[in-house]
Amino acid sequence: MDRSNYWLVLVFFILGTTITLAQNKTIRGTVTDQNGLPLPGVNVIVQGTSNGTQTDFDGNYTIQGNDGQTLIFSYLGQKTVTQPIGESNVIDIQMVEDAEALEEVIVTGQGSGIQKRKLSTTVDVLTEEDIDKLPSNQIDAMLQASTPSAQIRLSSGQPGTASIIRTRGPISAATSSTPVIIVDGVRVDNLNSSPQLGLGTGGANVSALADIPVESIERIEYIKGGAATTLYGADAANGVIQVITKKGREGRATAFFESSLGVIKGTEDYLRYKRTAEALFSTGLSQEFKVGFSGGGKGFSYNFGGSLYKDDSFNNLNEQVKRSFTFGYKAKLSKKMDYQGSFSYTGFESNLDFNANFTTLSRFSGFESAGRGNLDELTDEEWQAELERSDRINPLVDNTQTINRITGSNKFTYTFSNALQANATIGIDYRTSVSEQIQSNSFQVATGTIPEGTTDQAILGRLLRNAFTVTADLNFTHKANLNDFSFVTILGGQFFRSTDRQNQINGTGGVDGTRSVNNFATQTVLDFVLENANYGLYFLENVGFFNVAFLELGGRLDRNTSAGENTNPLFLPKIGMVYNLSDHDFYKRNGINDIVSTIKLRANYGEATNFAQPFSQDRTFSLNSFLGAPSFTFANPGNPDLVSERVKTTEFGLELGFFGNRLNLSGTRYDATTEDALFTPISPPSDGQLNQIQNIGEVSNKGWEFALDATLIQTKKHRLGINLSYNTNENVVVSSGGGAPFVVGGFQVIGSVVEEGQSLGYLRGTAAVLQDDGSYEFEPNSNLGDTFAPYFGSIGLNYTWGSFNLFATGDYQFGGKITDLSFLLRNLREFDSEGIPEELNGNTSPFNYVNFFVFDNDFLKIRTIGASYDFGNVVKPFSNIRFGLTVTNPFNWTAGNFDPENTGSGIALQNGFASGGFAYGTESLPRIFLSSLRFQF
Amino acid sequence: MNKIIIVFSILFLAISCTDDFSNVVDFTEVENPNLSEESVIGQPNSSVIWLTGLERQLSLAINNTLVLAELGSDNYVNTQTFFSQFMDELDIQITDPNIRNAGFTIQRLREMAVFGLTEVGPADPEYVATTEAEYHFFYGISLLYSAMYFSALPQEPVGIPVSSAQNYRDAIAAFDLAIGINPLPEYHLAKARANYYLGNKADAVAAAQQALALDGSFDRFATFDQANGPTNTMEAALFARGTFDDLQPLPTLDFLDPKYSFLTPLEDPPVHYLKAEEAHLILAEANISDGNIATAQDNLRDLLDVIATREVRSIDDSIEGRTENAPGSRPNNANVAVNFRGLGLVLDRQAGNVDIPAVSGTSLTEFDVDMMVAGDNAVELLYRTRQEVFIAEGIRFVDMGIKLVIDENEILQNDNISMGDPGTVPVIPPFIASVVTDLDAITYDAAAGVATTVVDVTQILVGNKESDLVLPFH
Repeated sequence: MDRSNYWLVLVFFILGTTITLAQNKTIRGTVTDQNGLPLPGVNVIVQGTSNGTQTDFDGNYTIQGNDGQTLIFSYLGQKTVTQPIGESNVIDIQMVEDAEALEEVIVTGQGSGIQKRKLSTTVDVLTEEDIDKLPSNQIDAMLQASTPSAQIRLSSGQPGTASIIRTRGPISAATSSTPVIIVDGVRVDNLNSSPQLGLGTGGANVSALADIPVESIERIEYIKGGAATTLYGADAANGVIQVITKKGREGRATAFFESSLGVIKGTEDYLRYKRTAEALFSTGLSQEFKVGFSGGGKGFSYNFGGSLYKDDSFNNLNEQVKRSFTFGYKAKLSKKMDYQGSFSYTGFESNLDFNANFTTLSRFSGFESAGRGNLDELTDEEWQAELERSDRINPLVDNTQTINRITGSNKFTYTFSNALQANATIGIDYRTSVSEQIQSNSFQVATGTIPEGTTDQAILGRLLRNAFTVTADLNFTHKANLNDFSFVTILGGQFFRSTDRQNQINGTGGVDGTRSVNNFATQTVLDFVLENANYGLYFLENVGFFNVAFLELGGRLDRNTSAGENTNPLFLPKIGMVYNLSDHDFYKRNGINDIVSTIKLRANYGEATNFAQPFSQDRTFSLNSFLGAPSFTFANPGNPDLVSERVKTTEFGLELGFFGNRLNLSGTRYDATTEDALFTPISPPSDGQLNQIQNIGEVSNKGWEFALDATLIQTKKHRLGINLSYNTNENVVVSSGGGAPFVVGGFQVIGSVVEEGQSLGYLRGTAAVLQDDGSYEFEPNSNLGDTFAPYFGSIGLNYTWGSFNLFATGDYQFGGKITDLSFLLRNLREFDSEGIPEELNGNTSPFNYVNFFVFDNDFLKIRTIGASYDFGNVVKPFSNIRFGLTVTNPFNWTAGNFDPENTGSGIALQNGFASGGFAYGTESLPRIFLSSLRFQF
Repeated sequence: MNKIIIVFSILFLAISCTDDFSNVVDFTEVENPNLSEESVIGQPNSSVIWLTGLERQLSLAINNTLVLAELGSDNYVNTQTFFSQFMDELDIQITDPNIRNAGFTIQRLREMAVFGLTEVGPADPEYVATTEAEYHFFYGISLLYSAMYFSALPQEPVGIPVSSAQNYRDAIAAFDLAIGINPLPEYHLAKARANYYLGNKADAVAAAQQALALDGSFDRFATFDQANGPTNTMEAALFARGTFDDLQPLPTLDFLDPKYSFLTPLEDPPVHYLKAEEAHLILAEANISDGNIATAQDNLRDLLDVIATREVRSIDDSIEGRTENAPGSRPNNANVAVNFRGLGLVLDRQAGNVDIPAVSGTSLTEFDVDMMVAGDNAVELLYRTRQEVFIAEGIRFVDMGIKLVIDENEILQNDNISMGDPGTVPVIPPFIASVVTDLDAITYDAAAGVATTVVDVTQILVGNKESDLVLPFH
């Protein structure tokens, strides 16, 4: 960028006013599309200058220029128009769609992007427009209900909560189903559970997904597993979420400022006792300020987005503050060399209340599971005492998290010729988190865990986690056409290396009033390290036939340092075919084209992997400090044959578009088998050894994915679109390698279990079954249902009327089961026996009739309803003022009278398997009423 | 000039390339920070560190057996779900992970002892005889615990299950090896206990006498690390979890609870697993069974003398309400009489500190001993004393003749075991099975200050003393 551009940007940003250089003529006009509809946001620039503007919402523009100069009109998806300035002061332009540019390009795999029509796999895409509408500032919450085939369940209403993200069913018993997340080609920390070391919060934790900056995203691609992720290697079997940040566009510099104000209200729908809300809920406020500016001149462009966010939550404890910015930059370094860079920072501070497992410490769970008695039956005086106790504890709860994260990406593209291009990417992600918990003496006295008057038993815990990932990729893309054949060849190599260092510092025997471990009588330290390097070579050949059919062949030779010493690199092949029947000229000329405008058939096979936790292949010993003396013991037994588990997916799909693609249907059948599945069976106790992860299992997932989107109304002023998806998943553990069933979550009396012939993580427990004679028989180890809802999908609506937009998103699931653990505890404490037969209640242990605590996990939830209005350029200097209103989580329908999403305490291990089969002890997502005002310069 | 620059540049690059620069760009190198086998075997003093590991493993094994054994016996009732969800009802299942952990930790102790004897010890230049004796002792202890709590358990990885009796016999062999190297009183007592449960009265008596001859008040205990773990699980159940009131004692044993309470931020209270009292009790029981009441009385007087020397801790137990979940449901003050035995068995924990024996306590008095006459009453008195002295030490459960089962994972992965084999089926004597639901049941009239246990397990045991499953000397 030359110096004058710097000044231009600065002046744009500071003054927010349009600076124009002296020109002697004002030109006006309207830009329309090929249907005559006005096109807002078209870049209009005087060629050879940095003088430019954008059309407003009615397609109108004004610009200063001289006779003889040329105006350039550019807009994504439209052919660029150049128009010399003549005598007239009015230049109206009708732009024409650029068919080639409109062909969506997917960044999938590695190498240069490939046009979507050439791909045999499907990718769910969120565009800038979709993203800007969504009120959330957490990426998983944004994707929830806005991607057709992903199931995303946020497990608590607390800040930054972990989520369960799944697409094609649970493929692994060893790892979380969270996809790999790649920001501008760089892998980022995607820890979506408690870390390995952790402070006891009863399952409350902050996910690394909560601090990926979202204010400058141009596009999110959700690539499901199978052939689509083969080239990513390593742990991409759960899919990949690609985030592409904005880098700005050549044209007039623009800027915006947005202010949002929200009201956050606790969701009381599922509370067993209304008094719980009285004690804990307190409607809060959220505030956010966002700024952004972007633009570009000849050979460069830039984008900056920044945000400051604060909320004090729906309860009287949680607070969060988030500060983030992203800077993206694109430059033409030479005729052949291009550069793209991005850099982002997030600072995130929040505090957490205790969740389920600490019933004495978790007030919410204490109330809801009747740990404080039946709240409805307490007298006013008793309740008053409870309220006072709760209010006494409230300011003393001290679980804080501070996260700082930076992500940087650099991509160089060298264009040897029109046919050959090289791409090199290198980038890093560094996320450091400090979690701190202080259980002061006064806190412990207030919760009743130590006697009144104790002053020297304060506890401090601090967990430091540093996660660093470096990613590098070099690839070559060659494109060629030979008569009716086209060839895209990609050859590349990639590596990423991640290091996760955790240190936990504990202090006990302290007095109140300090946050330094130095001031505690005893201090202990724990550490934990994970280090992994993954590297591979990959190739892809996409052969086109007559520009309608394409054959993809590819593979990756993959190696990672978490494999045992007896193993070899894995070769992961993929093959795919796609046939765009409707692209044949004969078809386009045929009358049926008006009715069925798109027919695309696709099929593919591909393999993708997940690797075991680093170092789990090694035989190790440990030395523990035991009363001040060193003591040895066996640690990990080791497995020199350990390799990544391999998911083999076959997929068939059909895409249909009707009536000029106003109605689009997509259907996919997938069949995925996880071979050499990583199971950690319980070792025979006679071994005396810890459990060792082994490649002994096999898991099958089969299902259908259907998506429909339709434009029901499209007139000059109105547009009404809807979308709907329906997905099925059939999951079974084909083989557990001869081992006994093992519990991967939950409890002894009712566990989430891996067992041959059953769904992964199904619910198992003792069922009381009514016999013909009216008595009950107790059947231990009964199948109480699958934790994964096998039927799910999303719904959406989008209506535009001129400058007004209304949209809604929602999602649903049915067919699965979930345990209401709060109810179980209430029953155990003899405060709630609703629906439990008299013959059982009180006459036997509740653990003999756990089936009565298991319910359908069906729900339909409307996640967001939003409306916005663009006032246009009514107030100078703003080119537009947008007012937006959104309501988050306004309506819920569930099968049971608890929230089946609240699985706050479900994930036991770092990135471990999460079944989500237990609802327990944490608040639901709150309702948020958010208003925003956005000033566009 | 240009030539000079070029030559200089080439020279500079050549020199800088000679340095080993590969590790700067090698991204595949990862280092497991944990200990490998080479860091353990063959290192000087590794045998001592391994021995501390065995001590620690025993503490883990005790943690995993004690709570189960105490819940399974009449000593304690479980008011929560944290420690076990089955054992209070003697619902012994092959799928219960708590039972698996008990079996696992005991067998891990054995594997560690074997590894010490075969690998770590011989490779350590500093290996000494006393360490070797301890390795044998711990091997014996793992077999002793196998025999006490399981009707059968393998003695090697996925090995053939060995009966309880054979495990006792092999434990004795191991203790003999330890005694051969370094005779310690606890080695003799461990041997005495194995012989006691085998019913080998003469051998048990001989071993008990040898133990006492070496030291009349010895006490071998397992230690617990409050800071680094393992902490004492039983202490958590009885005391540390405060208002949870997880395990509640039978009112007749109230004055002995909690045997374990907060010690220091560094150390949790120890479990006294082999103490002189047991030798006196074995001798007394042998004499009672032989009709030597006077000698038995002497043994019991010796017992009281030892108990009198043991630590009694004054503790603030006010946080433990006895009645947190169901107010008024359990005796909680000194005005309650239990089983018509007068006052003193139940303490008032809200009236200042209470004095609780930390090693051994009993309601047995000199007067009781003086009044003792031959017959079942003497056996009952002895068994009541055993229950009191060994509370929270896992012995009552063994005295009741109950045995746990081999875990499902062993059954499925061990070719030598099939479902239904001995060892896979729980052993509960029929006279215990018939009163399972009443084992720790009480009736309590708070107003009248009268509490009564629904059954008296000591009486039941003595009433069935002819059974092979209990009272081995009778």
